[in-house]
Amino acid sequence: MEKFARVSATMIKLGRFVRRSVVDNYKSILVIVGFFLLWEFSVRILHTPEFVLPTPSSAIAHLFFKQADANYNWALHIRTTVYEFLIGFCVTAVSGVGLAIVIVWSKRFKNLSMPMFTFINSLPIIAIAPIILLWMGYGIKTNILIAFLVSFFPVIINTMTGLDSIEDDLLDLVRYLHASKLQIFLKIRIPNSLPYIFSGLKICSTMSIVGAIVGEFIASDRGLGYIIINSQYAMDTPPIFSALIVISLAGAALYWVVALFERLLMPWAFKSQKA
Amino acid sequence: MGKSVTAFIKKIAPKLLYFFLFLAVWQAVVMVFKIKVFILPSPIAVFQHLLDPSIAVQYDWWHHIGATLMEVLVSFAATAVVGIALAILISWSRLFSQLLSPIIILFNSLPKIALAPLFLIWFGYGFLPNILVAFMIAFFPVIINTSAGLMAVEDDLLDLVRYLNASKLQVFMKIRIPNSLPYIFAGLKISATMCVVGSIVGEFIAAEKGLGYLLRDAQAFIDTPTMFACLLLLSAIGLALFSFIGFLEKICMPWEHVQVEK
Repeated sequence: MEKFARVSATMIKLGRFVRRSVVDNYKSILVIVGFFLLWEFSVRILHTPEFVLPTPSSAIAHLFFKQADANYNWALHIRTTVYEFLIGFCVTAVSGVGLAIVIVWSKRFKNLSMPMFTFINSLPIIAIAPIILLWMGYGIKTNILIAFLVSFFPVIINTMTGLDSIEDDLLDLVRYLHASKLQIFLKIRIPNSLPYIFSGLKICSTMSIVGAIVGEFIASDRGLGYIIINSQYAMDTPPIFSALIVISLAGAALYWVVALFERLLMPWAFKSQKA
Repeated sequence: MGKSVTAFIKKIAPKLLYFFLFLAVWQAVVMVFKIKVFILPSPIAVFQHLLDPSIAVQYDWWHHIGATLMEVLVSFAATAVVGIALAILISWSRLFSQLLSPIIILFNSLPKIALAPLFLIWFGYGFLPNILVAFMIAFFPVIINTSAGLMAVEDDLLDLVRYLNASKLQVFMKIRIPNSLPYIFAGLKISATMCVVGSIVGEFIAAEKGLGYLLRDAQAFIDTPTMFACLLLLSAIGLALFSFIGFLEKICMPWEHVQVEK
């Protein structure tokens, strides 16, 4: 019974989150719908050639209906890309947060590694993609590794910053109360770092998609990045837009899931907004 | 002046030391395990490809460096100017904010890098598509950071100057813009890295010059030392731009610098 109550409370929270994200953003949704309508009608009125700019409706039609020009197995390509960036994202999230906790556990190790991470983060990591391709060959694993490398550093840097930015007074207080190091981590450091972790994960959600797509650009025989590059060779613009729409939706969905977890795990951060 | 030079050397010395240590370990690993050059070249081989005239002449390094550097610098300047200007416009007028913000958010959630092939169709080969890709990627951190900085002013301060009959322009010039400087510079630092990333990806997809092009070209010939040399040069370009912004930051916000040194 109690379990049921807890589940239903979570469901109510979920429902509220969904409703609020629609209601709060109705103006933005209106502008975006307006943007697409403007696009559709200006292309139709100005008779823009399709290889320059297709209408959004034609791009969507390419996703669902058989076309005369190019037929892609959309389900396969979408599945490949989604698989790549989801694995990339999950591996980054788990290893980034986990490694950050291990590193911050030892102060000296943290002081040594933090400058290194910020340094690496300021480098254009994507340039390593062709070298990874050379080492690992074509395939899904290569793209996952690229997605991982591109999105890893924002997560670990954010988590370490969050674990470290605790008020000294608070630490003094619990030390006075004989808190163990584990207790400090579990009760203070990790909860305190949640906002930082989530902002890192939000960056990571877009970066892992970027990594997967660039990997597919460089070399691959499937995935949405492959479709885009292949259509570019053929000057066949509508599938590029179809792929862009799917990628954006997937990116927005991943971002939204991260935001949802943020709400569920840090209810306190959103309570003050309501008041 | 002499003091600042010694301070600079003191600051940079450990970093250089780490760098050379890293190169030494890398060289030792390659030599001890006899790793084949096409898998992992030794740093000496990489530098030979860059500096040894008899080898370097095949690659025409300056030609490629110049192309990439120009793309990076032009796109960076464009992101800085357009990003900051648009952010000021948005926080100046409610109408602009309501019109532009949803579109900015929509584009921000779009993986901009995927637009690169489209720009290629629209503008053909050359500098323009690469600069545009870099601009699209690097533009959003600047505008988002700047508008966050312009908004993050203490209400008490605003109340105070309103009480003193400050005009809107004065509030912007004396409070909002100085207040947003740390945010702007943080945004510009992200943008610097992103500009390099954007130019490289543009060159990956289609170009006839530039370090990204050379990287892909070398990959086709399994010419690994050249690839690492490109990687080194690209990192150097990114770092140079990054430290230049750090330098500007110190000049524009001397107060922050003093606080840190305490």
